[in-house]
Amino acid sequence: MTLLTIVLLAVITFTTRYLFLHPSLPVKLGPKMVSFLNFSAPAVLTAIWVPIIFVHEGELNVNPLNPFVLSATIAVIISAKTKNIYWTVGVSLAVFVAMKFFL
Amino acid sequence: MLTKKQATIKMIQKGIIDMLPLNLAVIPWGILCGSLAIQRDFTVLEALLMPMIVFAGAAQLVATELIAENAPLLTILFTVFIISSRHFLYGLALRQKLKVLPLKKRVALGFVLTDELFALSTDKKSLKGKLRLTYGVSAGFSFYFSWLFFNIVGIVAGAYLPDLTTLGLDFAIAVTFIALVIPTITSLPVLVAVCVSGVLSVVLKLMGWELDLVIASLVGMYSGYLTLRFTNQNQLNEPEK
Repeated sequence: MTLLTIVLLAVITFTTRYLFLHPSLPVKLGPKMVSFLNFSAPAVLTAIWVPIIFVHEGELNVNPLNPFVLSATIAVIISAKTKNIYWTVGVSLAVFVAMKFFL
Repeated sequence: MLTKKQATIKMIQKGIIDMLPLNLAVIPWGILCGSLAIQRDFTVLEALLMPMIVFAGAAQLVATELIAENAPLLTILFTVFIISSRHFLYGLALRQKLKVLPLKKRVALGFVLTDELFALSTDKKSLKGKLRLTYGVSAGFSFYFSWLFFNIVGIVAGAYLPDLTTLGLDFAIAVTFIALVIPTITSLPVLVAVCVSGVLSVVLKLMGWELDLVIASLVGMYSGYLTLRFTNQNQLNEPEK
């Protein structure tokens, strides 16, 4: 039973990824739609990371001394200054782990 | 001059190198997903098939919990569909470039079209032409194998690990996405899209909406699009083409 469920889940995840790449699908994208879709990467990725930082167990947490909030703030600043993924992830992760460890 | 073969190898290497930070960021999550499956009494085969064919992050984790709780099949399928539905946007955004590809490449890229690969494919030129496609396939599959590998580490270590779900391991993912998004905010419309999407995602999450991620993204995208049209009209004083 679990095996069948897993196969069905695979069909779903693959379909959501592949569907609109299929050429015979009757979808035509006009220039307005393309311009709209250009915002998909920043919008979707942001909608993924912001709740991870600010929502814990269904509760809003905006306390600047919370490890999530403080480390993420540091990450945003470093990323804006350096545009370097390694510096951003490295430093903020170190701060996060240190805060989890010492607090 | 590079020969064709050398150029291909270069692109494969570059794909792997560019994906490396993302491959590293999912180490804790991969281990978490693998170990959780074992701790929730999945067989080794079932635990392996999750990253191997379902190949998802949040969806995989939630599905593992739901299956373990004996949730109704429809609930499991619907929940995973909702979490996974953001990928429709990625497919749409890349449709023009990828629909013309031969079946094999299209299916391969579709299979590995994750948040991570999409994040590396936002440039106008990305995935255009043979070499950039090689780059995309290489980056996409390096992520696939890294996800699979760290799931296997979790499966092997599963019985010896404590329950990792409460450790805040998703921070690594969040911070990677921060590092990917912030440098792309180079114009007012993108800034608006990001702010609207970010604020709304928190509000909808707190309200417990099922489609929080997709709705927040769509409204954010539309806000960015409207800002672009508005600023274009103001600056150039001509209607959008």
